[in-house]
Amino acid sequence: MEIEAAVSQLRRGDLGALSTLIARYQNRLYRYLLRLVRQPAQAEDLFQQTWLRVAEKIRSYDPSRNFEAWLFTLARNLAFDHLRRIRPQSLDHSVGDESDRNAVASPLADSGAGPFDRLLAHERATLLASAIEKLPVTYREVLSLRFEEEMKLEEIATVLSAPLSTVKSRIQRSLEQLRGMLDTGSAEVRK
Amino acid sequence: MTDSDEHAEILDQLPFFVAGLVDADDEARIARHMATCPDCAGELERWQLISAGLRQLPTPQPSSALFERTRAMVADRLAAKAEQRQNHIVLLLLVLFSWAVTLVTWPVFRFATDGLLSFFDIRFHQIWLVFAIFSAFTWLTGGSAALLLSLRRQDERRSAL
Repeated sequence: MEIEAAVSQLRRGDLGALSTLIARYQNRLYRYLLRLVRQPAQAEDLFQQTWLRVAEKIRSYDPSRNFEAWLFTLARNLAFDHLRRIRPQSLDHSVGDESDRNAVASPLADSGAGPFDRLLAHERATLLASAIEKLPVTYREVLSLRFEEEMKLEEIATVLSAPLSTVKSRIQRSLEQLRGMLDTGSAEVRK
Repeated sequence: MTDSDEHAEILDQLPFFVAGLVDADDEARIARHMATCPDCAGELERWQLISAGLRQLPTPQPSSALFERTRAMVADRLAAKAEQRQNHIVLLLLVLFSWAVTLVTWPVFRFATDGLLSFFDIRFHQIWLVFAIFSAFTWLTGGSAALLLSLRRQDERRSAL
């Protein structure tokens, strides 16, 4: 309700309503952009560009549509344009960064368990973070939208401008690839 | 459907299952199968570890200044665009006004200068030439005024920053 009111206000030209929307979505939007581009500075820049785009295009936004999906669509388009511009190959492949992996991995360790369990959880989390980093951006994206943003299949399809079947198979392939990487990773660790 | 067929089908469904993308019927079918198949139950546990890991990824926090920076940037850019739009409208109005002034003052100019031109014995064979010179003069005056105004406005904006 608060979001709908803020969107209506923004559509009427009240720029103050933008603060409400930014505050409401800043963590999620930034997280999504960071999953796509992986560099905090670039994610912040795209974050700003996204909100500028929101302010510019809000009058063409159809209020009957889901605002969240519309917002993430704008962010996605900007992020993919950016990725195409800086390194087109990054849309298919990715290279991991050790610091990013550690940043993702460490909080995943289960702090409530015993030392051995914590070690195992930490190892698992490190492997998972490392595997996610190696996924192509299109796979990282659907995993983030489904598991982190908890979007429905239809919402993800809206964000990606893709059919439901494509989204579904992309989620399946990304999970299978992740699983394959984790199995390989676990086997290497055991050696 | 044979047991092995169902087994294979259930295994294929597991990624969708942990992603919460199966309907209630399939969910019940998978649950029933898990109760009787330890292999699939083990497989499901591995998938669930992955899905739980994905759901527990930490949320990276943007820098604390990002919120304010974004608000300020959006406000600045929108103000700049609004000003640009306003300038276009002013320019259009200026052109219309210049034409109106030119056309309205032309008869006055003719009336006022007719005697003067005859006194100096200046004759223009083409009335359009006089009109062109008059137009150029009025437009040049208007254009110079607009330019000076815009330069002054730029200075004001710079000093305000």
